Amino acid sequence: MTRILMKGNEAIAEAAIRAGAIYYFAYPITPQNEVGEYMARRLPEVGGVFVQAESEVAVGNMLFGAVASGKRVFTSSSSPGISLMQEAISYMAGARLPVVLINIMRGGPGLGGILPSQADYFQSTKGGGHGDYRVLVLAPSTLQEAVDLTMLAFHLADKYCNPTMVLADGMIGQMMEPVEFPENYVEEPVPPKDWATTGCQGRAPIIIKSLALDPVVLEKNNLVLAEKYKLMKRDEIRFEAYKINPKNRILVVSYGTMARICQTVIDELEQENISVGLLRPITLFPFPAKEILAEAIKPNIESVLTVEMSMGQMVEDVEWAVKDKKPVEFYGRTGGIVPTPEEVKDYIMKILAKETPAVKSWNG
Amino acid sequence: MLTSFPSFDKRVIIFAGAYGSGKTEVAVNYAIGLATSQSQSVSIIDLDIVNPYFRSREAAFELEAQGVHVIMPHNEMCHADLPIILPEIRGEIERSDGKVIVDVGGDDVGARVLSSMVDAFAPKGYEFLIVLNARRPFTSDVAGSLKMMRDIEISSRLKFTGIVSNTHLIGETTTETVTEGYELAVEVGRAAEIPVAFVSVVTEVAQQLDPNVVKVPVFALSRQMLKPWEEKVKAVRGL
Repeated sequence: MTRILMKGNEAIAEAAIRAGAIYYFAYPITPQNEVGEYMARRLPEVGGVFVQAESEVAVGNMLFGAVASGKRVFTSSSSPGISLMQEAISYMAGARLPVVLINIMRGGPGLGGILPSQADYFQSTKGGGHGDYRVLVLAPSTLQEAVDLTMLAFHLADKYCNPTMVLADGMIGQMMEPVEFPENYVEEPVPPKDWATTGCQGRAPIIIKSLALDPVVLEKNNLVLAEKYKLMKRDEIRFEAYKINPKNRILVVSYGTMARICQTVIDELEQENISVGLLRPITLFPFPAKEILAEAIKPNIESVLTVEMSMGQMVEDVEWAVKDKKPVEFYGRTGGIVPTPEEVKDYIMKILAKETPAVKSWNG
Repeated sequence: MLTSFPSFDKRVIIFAGAYGSGKTEVAVNYAIGLATSQSQSVSIIDLDIVNPYFRSREAAFELEAQGVHVIMPHNEMCHADLPIILPEIRGEIERSDGKVIVDVGGDDVGARVLSSMVDAFAPKGYEFLIVLNARRPFTSDVAGSLKMMRDIEISSRLKFTGIVSNTHLIGETTTETVTEGYELAVEVGRAAEIPVAFVSVVTEVAQQLDPNVVKVPVFALSRQMLKPWEEKVKAVRGL
């Protein structure tokens, strides 16, 4: 296989095509525009269609219509654009539709800036729109992983008939790394799409909707969804352990770009005989809570540090996972500022010297 | 192999090419190389109006420290993804007595901005160099590279004068990667009737290249456009 040099956004776009995506709806927004540019160039070659909508609200509804056909369908956007799609994402979750969403996060809130951020963790993992639903969220930290997880996203969306998101920050979208694509991509079988609106000649019409006026019917749907989320928690948790060993004094929990910076810090600290391990969640929902707790309670661990490009979002799940068994610390920068290895290292040194503030994340 | 600094008589040296071909890395290194190897003043114009990150303005601190004058959007606008074309750009090209390096955004879209400045470049004499990376998706063969060149020439209203063979895979670059790219560049140059001006590659690989194979100057790069986990000291991106 030839390794080629790609920008993250291009790699994600090519991965979507390799996974069989043929319908793509989007509205331009920095820092993910290369996805659309790449799709505009490549989709016609595979017989696909790219519709540039009049807004992200329209994108959301186009996705609903297209994914109901049973074909592989996706969009890409960045934070404010994903916010505009939330209503439709809730509808698609309610209607059990396997849409794939790519969010290349930028700094917020509001229109914010165009530099990298991880401040859409809450929105992505806790629902985002209205109602009781969850989106399955995958967070790559390298471009090869962005390729692999984008392809996996289509599979998991079909497997669970649930909206699935690849959540990456602007750095992943904009940076370049060598990647390769599987030559003969074979997936595990997914359930037959007997729910799809493929034309009703010879059979009763299928109507896909999220409206259920009868409360018993609506509650039943929520119970079906809850059952799926339980299965995801049982079968789909993914994470990576980096230099985790019994000598670790600090357990770092970090994802995406931030995890790579933490790896650099851990390597540097190792040179100074300070043992720190990293647990990198790859699925943000379902969250590897048990796995974090299992590491956190090891006797040598003094505290658990969450590092994010946010004011502290994933740290709430880490606090919940660790259940007061060990102190949970937080370090983050926002606005598009990416913490440097130096900053993170300094903070770890402060934790070891017990000089960190008592209040960790923004909600204490 | 001995590396050498590829010099040009022309005052204005423009680097263009496909998205992600490495124009910025080459342009920034070239500007620093010029500033540290000869007495004329050197300026670099960040004319990237299509990329939001990894633009030459991110190396402004290092460039200025090496004596390179950096022309880039001012204040918070340096972080914008807007097509900002500063009045100083034309002024620098028309009035500067020194060397002017121009770092252009990717593809024909990024190069279109040049077309409004053709009258400024022409009287001063310029090199218009296409930076090629054979490991990029749309310039991995002769036909793709020629199409990219033709598209950029149409949108910029300038004719390429030479090729920079910058084939690499960042940290995974080997001598084979560079040699294969060079051979493609030679073929592209033959078809387009322009020379391969130089090969550019990081120093560690440059030193291992076989001069019997690579018959043009090899410009050794020291990576300036680093990722956040690669930079130990650099404070805050552009702040």
